[in-house]
Order: sequence, then C-alpha cells, then structure tokens
Amino acid sequence: MLLREVEYARPATVEEAISLLSEHDGARALAGGQTLVNVMKARAASPDVLVDLADLDELRTISFSADQSALELGAMVTNSQVIASSEVEVARPILAEVAATIADVQIRNRGTVGGNVCVNDPTNHYPPLLAALGATFTIRGVAGERILAAEDFFLGVYVTAVEEGELLTTISVPTRKPGTGDAMAGVTLGAHGTYLVSAAATAGPAGVRIALGCVSSVPVRATAVEEKLAGGDLSEEAVRAAVAGLGARLDPPSDVHASADYRRHLAEVSAVRAVLQAAERAKG
Amino acid sequence: MTAIETEAGTLRKGAAMGQSVPRREDRRLVQGQGLFFDDVKRKGMGYLHFVRSPYAHATISSIDVSAALELPGVYGTLTGDEVAILTDPFFQIAAPPGAAVKDYALAVGKARYVGEPVVAVVAETRERARDAAELVMVDYEPLEPVVDARAALAEGAPVLHEECGGNLSYAGVWEWGDVDAAFAEADHVVKIDELHFDRFNSTPLECSGALVEYNRGTSQWTMYTNNQFPGFAAIMMGPAMRVGLDKLRIVTQDIGGGFGNKITTHPQLVACCLLARKLNRPIQWTEWRTEFHQSMSHGNERWFEETEVAVKADGTLLGFRTKAIDDAGAYLRYEPLGGVIWSQVAAGLYKWRNLRLEFTQAMTNKAPVSPNRGYSRMQHLWFTERVIDIVAHTLGFDPVEIRRQNYVQPEDMPYETPNGCVYDSGDYPRALELVLELIGADTIEERRAEAASRGKLLGLGIGSTLDSGTNNFGQSQLINPELQFSGNNEVATVKLDIFGEVVVTLGTTPQGQGHETTAAQVVADILNCDVNMVHVRAGHDSYWNSHAGFSGTYASQFAVTGLGAVKGAADLLAGDMVKLASMVFQCPEEAIELADGFARIKDNPEAALPFMALGAIPNANNAGFPEDPPTMNRRFVYRPPFQVPDKERKFGNLTLTYSLQMHACVVEIDPETGVTEVVEYAAVDDCGVRINPQIVEGQVMGATAHAIGAALWESFVYDEDGNLLTPNFYDYHVPHALDMPPLKTAAIESPSPFTPLGTKGMGEGGGGGIHCICAGIQDALRAAGGAIVTDSHNPYHRVWELLSDPERSRGSVEVSSR
Amino acid sequence: MATTSTRKTISVEINGRTHERDVPASMLLVHFLRDELDLTGTHVGCDTGSCGACTVQLRGDAVKSCCLLAVQADGASITTVEGLAGDEGELTPLQQSFNEHHALQCGYCTPGMLMSATALLEHNPHPSEDDVKVALQGNLCRCTGYWNIIDAVVAAGEGGAR
Repeated sequence: MLLREVEYARPATVEEAISLLSEHDGARALAGGQTLVNVMKARAASPDVLVDLADLDELRTISFSADQSALELGAMVTNSQVIASSEVEVARPILAEVAATIADVQIRNRGTVGGNVCVNDPTNHYPPLLAALGATFTIRGVAGERILAAEDFFLGVYVTAVEEGELLTTISVPTRKPGTGDAMAGVTLGAHGTYLVSAAATAGPAGVRIALGCVSSVPVRATAVEEKLAGGDLSEEAVRAAVAGLGARLDPPSDVHASADYRRHLAEVSAVRAVLQAAERAKG
Repeated sequence: MTAIETEAGTLRKGAAMGQSVPRREDRRLVQGQGLFFDDVKRKGMGYLHFVRSPYAHATISSIDVSAALELPGVYGTLTGDEVAILTDPFFQIAAPPGAAVKDYALAVGKARYVGEPVVAVVAETRERARDAAELVMVDYEPLEPVVDARAALAEGAPVLHEECGGNLSYAGVWEWGDVDAAFAEADHVVKIDELHFDRFNSTPLECSGALVEYNRGTSQWTMYTNNQFPGFAAIMMGPAMRVGLDKLRIVTQDIGGGFGNKITTHPQLVACCLLARKLNRPIQWTEWRTEFHQSMSHGNERWFEETEVAVKADGTLLGFRTKAIDDAGAYLRYEPLGGVIWSQVAAGLYKWRNLRLEFTQAMTNKAPVSPNRGYSRMQHLWFTERVIDIVAHTLGFDPVEIRRQNYVQPEDMPYETPNGCVYDSGDYPRALELVLELIGADTIEERRAEAASRGKLLGLGIGSTLDSGTNNFGQSQLINPELQFSGNNEVATVKLDIFGEVVVTLGTTPQGQGHETTAAQVVADILNCDVNMVHVRAGHDSYWNSHAGFSGTYASQFAVTGLGAVKGAADLLAGDMVKLASMVFQCPEEAIELADGFARIKDNPEAALPFMALGAIPNANNAGFPEDPPTMNRRFVYRPPFQVPDKERKFGNLTLTYSLQMHACVVEIDPETGVTEVVEYAAVDDCGVRINPQIVEGQVMGATAHAIGAALWESFVYDEDGNLLTPNFYDYHVPHALDMPPLKTAAIESPSPFTPLGTKGMGEGGGGGIHCICAGIQDALRAAGGAIVTDSHNPYHRVWELLSDPERSRGSVEVSSR
Repeated sequence: MATTSTRKTISVEINGRTHERDVPASMLLVHFLRDELDLTGTHVGCDTGSCGACTVQLRGDAVKSCCLLAVQADGASITTVEGLAGDEGELTPLQQSFNEHHALQCGYCTPGMLMSATALLEHNPHPSEDDVKVALQGNLCRCTGYWNIIDAVVAAGEGGAR
C-alpha cells in the first residue's frame, strides 16, 4: 500500500520520454498506472524512475492508417476512449466490446491499451485478442522504430519486446473485412472479472484465427485447430471436432481458482464458443 | 426488488416505532463527514507498521532493529522480547489444554502463522515506517507447519503451543435425548462421510486500526479505534498490561463494518499502547487489506465427519450423530466459545429430540479465527440444512415437504429444544410458504425446461436458518466450568438537558446498524414526542458512555439488549417527567400524561409543561420544592432473564431470541464449465417486532450478499506451507453490483414474548444464502449425475468436479434401511 | 527537458479550490487527499485498486485515487465527496436519494459510491438499472448487498441529475 521513494518526470514529447527511459537504469514508463501503481503499492516491483506519459498527446489518438486498412490506436488510448470511439465501432467493434468488460469504469477511465499489452499479464484481455486479430505493435527507441507481430511482441509473463529505453507508441489493428466476425469467450471470476481462461477468435474469408489467454506465459495461437478449420466448415460439429485434443497440447498453470486440467478443459470450451460466435457474426 | 409486509406484531407501536424513519446517521456519512479511526489525527503522531512473519511456523532466533532505527524519521520499535517483559499473556477462555496458550501482542519466540506481527516500527510517515520495516532483520528457523485441523490432531503433528502438549484446544461431547434408541427405531440410517464448512469472513471494507494516545500524567491511554466489543477488549488488555480497566479509554464513532471481525484486535491495540508510552507520542496504526486477510478474524472452518441420521419411513427425522472438527487457527482469542455457541441452534429448525455431537477444536498455523457474521451457529445450521437436503435427495423425499413436516411448528412455541434452549416464537411453515411464493416455486419445472433449452442446468434451493440473539454468557461455563461469566447486559442513559433536549447515550458500538435512529424512535414513542426531539450520541466512549461488561455490538442483540436498556431508561425518565409535572401542578401523578412533547394534565391539556421547563427545573431552578425534584437523568441496565446453564447436562437457555430467515434461490449452472449463477433470490425474515423495517430489511440484504459471496467466491485458501493464496481482493472475489441476483424480500413479525419490546435481535442472518445455494446446486445437478453437495463453498472448479465425478460425492453417502 | 526528482510541487484544484503542495512522488493521491489536505471523506478499503472506496472525479471521470500518484494529478481538477453538498450543507438529490432508499449502513463505501454515481449521472442523467450496475461495479459494499444503492441512483436519475 505504501510506495518506496521514486524519481519522477513528466516529459512533454515522445522523444523526451525515450531519452529519459534510456538514460535512467530501472526507469519505467507510467501510462494509466492501474497496474504499475498497484505493483508498486505491493512493492512487487519498485522502479527507480517513473516516466509519466500523461502529456504525450500524440499517443492518445485513434485514427486510420493511410490506406484505411488498419485502425491505429495510440498506446495511451484509454479503455473508455476505445468504448466511446466511433472509429473503433466502425472498424473493429470487438475492441470496444472487450474493453467494456475490463475491470470497472474507474479502471477503464485510466487504464490504457498500451499499458494492458505491455504488462502482458497472462490474464489480460488485450494480448490474446490482439494476437487473434493479427495486430502489430510499433516500438520506438533512440535507434528508431520497429514494428512487430504479436508472436514477436509478447515474450513472457510481464515481458514484451519493449526493451529498456523504448516505448510502445502504436497498436495497429486490421480493420474488419466484410464477412469477418470476431468474438471473445472465457470464464471470469465474477461478472467482468479476471479471466481464468480466455479465447479470442476471428472467422472470415481468410480463415479462422484463435488465441488463448491464461494458459501460458504468452497468448497461444491454436494453430492446429486453425488448420483443421481451414476448409470453411464452421458448424458446431466441425468446430468441436477441431478443438478436441487442444487441451492436451497445453501446459497451463494451476492456481487457487483452477487446476491445470480444469484450465485445459475450459480452454477447449472457450475456443469452441469463441469460434462459433465469431462464425455467427461473420454471417451477419 | 419487492417487499411484501405481512402480519404486524401485536405489541404497542407508536408514531415512530414501526416506521421506516430515514436514518439520521446518513447526513454526515453522505457528506464524507463520518469519523472513522483513520480520520483522527494528532500532531507528532507516529505511524506504525508491523513486520510480519513470512513463515507459517518458525522459531525466532534473533531480531535486529538497528538498521531500521538508523533510518531518518524512524521513532522507535517494539519486539516480542519487550512485550514479554512488559505484559502478561492474554487471558484464555479455554480450560486445559487450551488454557496453556501464551498469546501476546507480538510473536514471542515463535511465529505461528504467515502474517503474524513480529516487530512494530514507528516512523514519521506511513511510507517511512514501511521502509524501515524492510530493514528489520529477523532470523527465523522454519518449522514444519500444519494447516489442516484433522492433521493437527493426529499423532506426531507439529505442535504450535508446546505448553499445550498438542494442538487440541477444546473437546467435548454434547448429547441429549436417547440417541441409541433413536437409531434403533429408525427405518433408515443415512450416513454422510464428510461435510465441510469453509473458511472465509465478512471483509468489512474498513480494516482494523487505531490512533492511540498516552497521558503520562494520569497513566491513561485513549484509543480511537473501531473495535466493536470494547468490553471484551478491555477485559483482555487490562490484566495483560497490568493496569486497571479505567486506564484504558476506548473511543469509537463511525466503524466501517464489523460483522464480528473487529472483536479481537486487542493484541495490536496493546502494541500501540506500549509504543505510545515508550515513544511518548500518539501512535497511528492502519491495517491494510492484505494484512487483514492474512491475520485478522477468519471464520471457523468446520468438518462434520461420520454423520448419521435416523429417519422414519414417513420422513420424520429422529436424530443425528456427528463429529465436528473445528479449526481455530494459531491462537485462541474468542475461542473456544465457538465450541458451545453452535448449541444455541443444536436442533436447527427441526423437532428431532436425539442429538449427539462430538466437538473437537484444533489450532493450526493459519490466521486466528474470531467471530464472523453468523458465528458458529451458521456452521451448524448449514450442517442441519445439508442433512435434511441430503436425506431428502437420497431417500426420495421432497425437500419442501420434508422440511414442513419436521419443522418446529408455530403451536409448539415457545419451544424447548433437547438442550434446553427456548425458541421464543416463529412460524416456520408460513415463512417457507411465503418464500416459495416469492421465488415462484410453482413454475420451477417450466423454468428448468427453458434453461435446458439454453444448455443450462437449473435448480431451486431452500435454506432455512435461525439467527439466535442475546447470548447468555453462562454458556461459556459449558466449555470451561471455571469461568465466571454469565448472563448479559447493556446500558443506556436518557436525560433531559437544561433546554429540554432529550439526550440518549448507548453502550453499543454500531457499525452501520442505525442505532442512533432506532434508539430515538423508541424514546420518542415512550416520551410521546417527535422523533427529531431525541438526540442520540454518535459513538461510544468508554469514559463517558455508561456501559457494562458485555457492552458492544455483536451477536444479533441490539434490538433486545440495546433497545431494552433504552426503553428502561426512557420509562424511568418518563416517570420522572410525570412526577415533576405533578409536583409543579400539585396534582396526583395519575392525572398527568406525556403527549405531543409536553407533560400535561389529562383533563386540562392547557396546563402543560414543555420539555424545556422539565429540564430547566432540576438543572437550574430547583428551590422551593418540599422534596427533591427528579433529576431527569436516568440510567438503565437491561439484564435478560437467564439462569446459569447446567454444566453436567450441557442444558439451559443460551439465547433469549430466535429470529428466522427463510431463503430460496434459483441457480443456473453451465454444465460445460461449472460456472454457477444465482438468477433469482428471495428471503423472508421474522425478527419479531421491527422498530425500523427498512433497517431490518437492509440487514437481511447484507447478510444475503455475504452468504452469496461465501457460497460461490469467498474462501481463505492456504497452501501446504501455510501461505494464504487469497490474501487480497484480486483473488478473494467480493461480489459486486453485477454479481447480485434480483432479490425479493418479505417480512413476518412474530413478537418475542421474552423481550421488552417484542423485538428479536437480528443482523447476522444465519448464513441462509449459503444453505440455499448449496441446495440449489444440488437440485440443478440432479439432471447431470446427481452429485451431492458436501462443501459450503462451491466455486466453479468444485461444481465442475461435481459434474465430472458425481459418483465420488454420491459414494460418500450411504443409506442402510430395514 | 524534463528532469527527474523524488518530490514535486503540485497544484491541484479540489472541489473548486486550488491547493499547492510539495509532495513526494511516491505519495498516492488518496493519501494526499486524506493526510495532506485533511479531506478524509475519501476512504481506503483495500490495497489492490479493487474496492473503489477511494473513488473521486478527475476531470469529471470516476477514478480510483489509490491507483494514482498525487503528482499525476498536478494541474487537474478533482471533485471529492466533500464537494457535493452545497455551502450550507444542502444535500444533492443523489445524496438525499441515498438516505431515502437506505443505500448506506456503515457509510464507508458511500463516498466512493456517490462519486461513481455522480460521474454516471453527469454523463447519463437517466440511467437504467443495468447502467447503474455497470457504473458501480468498481465499488464494493459489504453492508447493503447493493440493491438499495442501485434503487437510490436510478431514483435520483428519474428525478433529475445534480
């Protein structure tokens, strides 16, 4: 509940932020703070320096890419912004639908999409969702910018490809093509609670993509299932048949809420439900 | 949510009593002007942070505070060695072997649970105290912990308190009637291997804490704290600190929820007191959520093993035998009173006369338990409700009919139970009928089919429960014959001030029950004045409020003890007012009445004295009277009519009143995941005469919410090393607004014949929600394997196990029939 | 170029009044309000940002003040429960509705509930029961079970917002 002494700075530009992050060992970027401040309260981590991104307006925008093929979310876009955004509603409404189930109003008002993905807590909502959607992540550092796919961005529990001295600036989400449906399913601890298992799916002309959360240190693409469903038959029978055996290939953690075996089972159920719902929406 | 009111009590109600008078406490609370302990500040106060044991069981070989003391802004420390010199161990309620437990304000020589306070550090800011705590070096030698009460009782188990020789704190056999004959007569004997009531508590939103000052000149401490039973705290603290109780002033005002979980804070308060004296500055201690979860007041976990139920062919329950094993955690603070308090409701709501329960309590390397809403009765009532539900399930009886048939009937009231408790009043079958109506039981099969069409299992569950209130503390002698406690009491004063303001003080320490409002209602009707003319002092100050040994707010009793004291004092004051008016008007007292805020001559209402005159005369204008005018300042100690129970037979009346709650729920289970949702809920409450129906209903709702949380989400789970896996609100999920089902409530008023106002204590609720959700889950699972629910706590993974392997639970129940 | 420091002088407008203070960067906003400014109406109920007892309005939005550093509030405008009632203590329709509906017992969660509900009513003057439940999801209560609180907020919405 009580933080250790910490150095604090509030840069005015992204470049300043990157400089500060590079210059100070053990510096952390402070986005919404809904995770980081609580981590610091528990003294589970006590960075020496906090670089507050609050004034970096260029990271707070939601816009389309030049060729309109992707929605670009600034890393500091809050969940409340995502929910209220007409661009999101038009281009990829699943983002708003899922954002509305993250924690509660107060946390959504402060918590950012960038923060959620950079924390990469296995129970977080955005990592599996963005993995399923094929999002890309733009990281800027002193040396310049690079863009990574989800499988290269999420590296481990609380670990992403963002290195010391770097900042995630943009998350780029492909806009939804006609005939594509998205869904996210899972089991949460209470309504809109923390996920015990999650599965995000998208179904459309390009096939099916499924990403599971809570079953590993990073989101897991259920590639074997995706291959079995490549033929386009997304009937309940076909989906259940394709998902069967998924659990056995996973090595999920055990904790007070779910044993590894229960998680394996929930992963299968959630994958089926996410795919079926995505398929249903693809028709509409 | 709808409320249906039914039969009103026959007892007198006036203009205020019986009305849902809006609470006067609210004005300050909705403006954030409540005074909670952490709001109290003193110049120069030092903030206290406890260094806590990371081990469940360890010897403490050395403590080095020197690095902490070197940190700028650190004022001082306190260790167990100092505590052992400055204080004596806390008084133990237990007889041997539990009596040998040595319990101090800090761990002395040994740590016995993760989170146990070992060292206290005080500094000029909260953060600095926390920083300094990290610099305290404690050398621990870990010992093997024991975290299961049954393992703790086994041969060779690690022993927490060597002086006790083992981990047993209390064992006793409780038996009434002729149990062997009942089993001989039974047509069926239903055997249940194991029933398990889980460990959780009420997590009041405000944690514990205090601001403690020491007055060097008078050697007296003042504690601004949220302890809800200051009488008990003082009795514990005084002897330990080797001071008279008059040196310990406890002041409470607003308390952010108690639910029993703020009764045993005396060890931490002693640490604060010692530091206030040692450092010559006020000490501020705030407990944070994780600390509360790890160390404060868990509810009793209890197993019922080898239960046998004797049943007749027609469904009549003749009796039961069971072995109850209770887990007290690492220290006995209010325990082993839990070992007798369950027997207030030994028979539950049922008429069986032949009962046997072997009660064994063990200490384990977990947080110490203390009363939790429904304390010890809830565990036992859950047991009786599981029993009747499982008997119905296995023998093919209807769960509603078998209850109706076996309930104590209204014509039996007042009903003496096999162990001499007296159920004062109540109409259990009527309440059952009402709750079934509210939940729409007659359409349940249609709803089951509709849910099935959505792929869900639907179940209806009933939970009947009692809230026994106003303890006879003589029951403590049934677990320790040497104890000198018996009866109960509460105190109130009512006076007229010089300008005629009616001022009431209470011995109670409310944590949201609206005492200021309900006390005013009672006084207003007795004095026949407007309720807004009655001022009730907020909060309790043990120096200035009149109180007695049992004063406090706990155990569902205010409406009887608190309001009984208020009524007694108000009656005396009313008599004084009449007498003074008769002295002034020189007429007989019978000619005087109190009406509309005046004392007046009945036949000549113009001859009237306002309260101001009545207050002014004895205070400021008392010359010329041939005899002393009454002082208009009255104190009353309410004492309920109790005898000391028979220790041999463990027989006697242990609680004065028995409120009833009848709960019903509809649950839906997702058979693919085990996720369980309560989709509808109804509760009927009968607490006798209701002084403020809205406040009563609020308590019913709160108890329901606590029970829903405990049934589905809330549990203190430990790993085998004694680490608490649910130490904060991340993993210990407290249900929120989206988690709650729609709720319908109704009330019946069956006045108590034993209390001054016909009221009964209520508030704890008896855990009805846990009972009915277990029943609902079991009912839902009939269609998917027919598992039997044997745990009070059924989170998703447990329901999944019941779905995946119903045979395991079904196999734990055996029926033998002749 | 921004420099780092362990302390900062911040200027925060709270309930219409500006406060300037030098604070450690490690100080939580809730402690700034309670310990530094003696605004003790905002409460602490947990240590994981779960319970919402510390909810205040930051630029009109409901936020948990225990999940913010005081320095993050520099330059911002905040409303706490002390800022709701009028200067003569006139309660808002929402506060009155809480009293009428018995939407509080111990009162500890109440300031947070009022701030979340006030933020809701400012954005959505006539919320449905479901709207209210969503808005209050981040505010835990152990006394009331929420039913009366939800009724109180819905009723306040029907009567007109603050």
